[in-house]
Amino acid sequence: MIAELGKYTLFMYQVLKWPERWRVFWRQLMDEVDKLVLRSIPIVILISIFMGAVTSIQTAYNLTNPFIPMTMVGFTTATSSILEFSPTIISLILAGKVGSRIASEIGSMRINEQIDALEVMGINSSNFLLLPKLTAIVFFNPFIILISMFSAIVGGYIVAHLTGLYSPADYITGIRIDFKVFNIVYAMIKTVVFAFIISSVSGFMGYFVKGGATGLGKASTQAVVWSSIIIIIFNLILTQLLLS
Amino acid sequence: MIVAEDLYKSFDGRPVLKGISAVFEPGTTHLIIGQSGAGKTVFLKCISGLYDVDQGQISYDGRVLQKLSKKERKKLRKEIGMLFQGGALFDSLNVEENIMFPLNMFSKMSTDEKRKRVDFCLDLVELSGNNKKATSELSGGMIKRVAIARAIVLNPKYLLCDEPNSGLDPRTAEVIDDLIHRITREFNITTIVNTHDMNSVLKIGDRINYLYDGKLEWTGDKDSILKTGNKRVNEFVFSMELTKRLKRDEN
Repeated sequence: MIAELGKYTLFMYQVLKWPERWRVFWRQLMDEVDKLVLRSIPIVILISIFMGAVTSIQTAYNLTNPFIPMTMVGFTTATSSILEFSPTIISLILAGKVGSRIASEIGSMRINEQIDALEVMGINSSNFLLLPKLTAIVFFNPFIILISMFSAIVGGYIVAHLTGLYSPADYITGIRIDFKVFNIVYAMIKTVVFAFIISSVSGFMGYFVKGGATGLGKASTQAVVWSSIIIIIFNLILTQLLLS
Repeated sequence: MIVAEDLYKSFDGRPVLKGISAVFEPGTTHLIIGQSGAGKTVFLKCISGLYDVDQGQISYDGRVLQKLSKKERKKLRKEIGMLFQGGALFDSLNVEENIMFPLNMFSKMSTDEKRKRVDFCLDLVELSGNNKKATSELSGGMIKRVAIARAIVLNPKYLLCDEPNSGLDPRTAEVIDDLIHRITREFNITTIVNTHDMNSVLKIGDRINYLYDGKLEWTGDKDSILKTGNKRVNEFVFSMELTKRLKRDEN
């Protein structure tokens, strides 16, 4: 375990160096933003709308005390989406979608000797392959999470219209109750840390893959499993540090 | 000229190279032959610097690889072209982009100059007009030829080829052999080819090094390999039905 941690640290030391050719790096970055960020938006919107809708229905279902106003539905949906569901749950989903993609892409390059080809050319292969992916996710995932927060809130609003469990006006009022900008800042900090974990852990697993297709499958699974475990651990640590 | 002196390399305590010394001269096609597991690929990867040797040293025209600084090593690597067993083309790039890749990374050429250089290399490997093809559209032989074009695009002084004929039919293998041999002579490159293909041995083996169990067992050329009295070399050379018949006919 300690040896792996040391290996990861040395790997990241190589990854986090300046790119050899900025022009090539920008081209790669734009490509990765498209592949890893923009193409994740539809699934994030879909999941977030349903997440917000379900949260709203469950909250409304549990509000049986007449002294608690129905505005609590909007408040609960917005707060839980901003604080936890969007940054953490969506990051866990992205760990599966994006993490496995990074691990399998880099891993197959290792198996097909493409990484060796880069090394023979004198290129820092870990930096060349992972830095554009890491930069794309770390800098652009916060926008995905903002979209997710908005979509979750919209999900609750749609429920108000479709079911009549609570009124849309109550819902809108609830969203505005005790709104804190720091909650958004807290969510963004978590998102950036989680994005770093997803890209670096998945890249590490793919880069050091051993064996053929079986090894690649194992690396891909391990990338998702370890990214998810580290995310939930850091979720606790960051929450304790920032909210207590 | 590449000089390997007393190379040792082991993995997890299992020795693979056991003191190999060899000299590789420019303008000559050097073949490394031997059975599977003899250490050919490990030897080539040590020569290229992909593996660090446990003992011994490798020098490129007097520059000892192990003593070079990071910067010097990087500079040296730009002088090495390597052809991998499977081609190792980047599948996200098309033919032209693959060949242009080293130029994009290391040269200050304009786009037009780069295109001209790519066209020149494609012409050399007889693949003109295939610039925009995706790597998935290429046959095994074409992949190898594009990989050769990429390996020589920066005008390397040294060309290392790992099993360039593996998985190819005899006719295509011959084309690849001829290409490597021609490039070596035309551009005075120091070329090392790993192979276990006897056709290559007899056709382009200017110098041949036979590895056995991590040691250099025999050195010679394509003419002397059929006449050697070395038992292990004979076992390897005459394990093929074609060479067996050749020997029978000669007798």
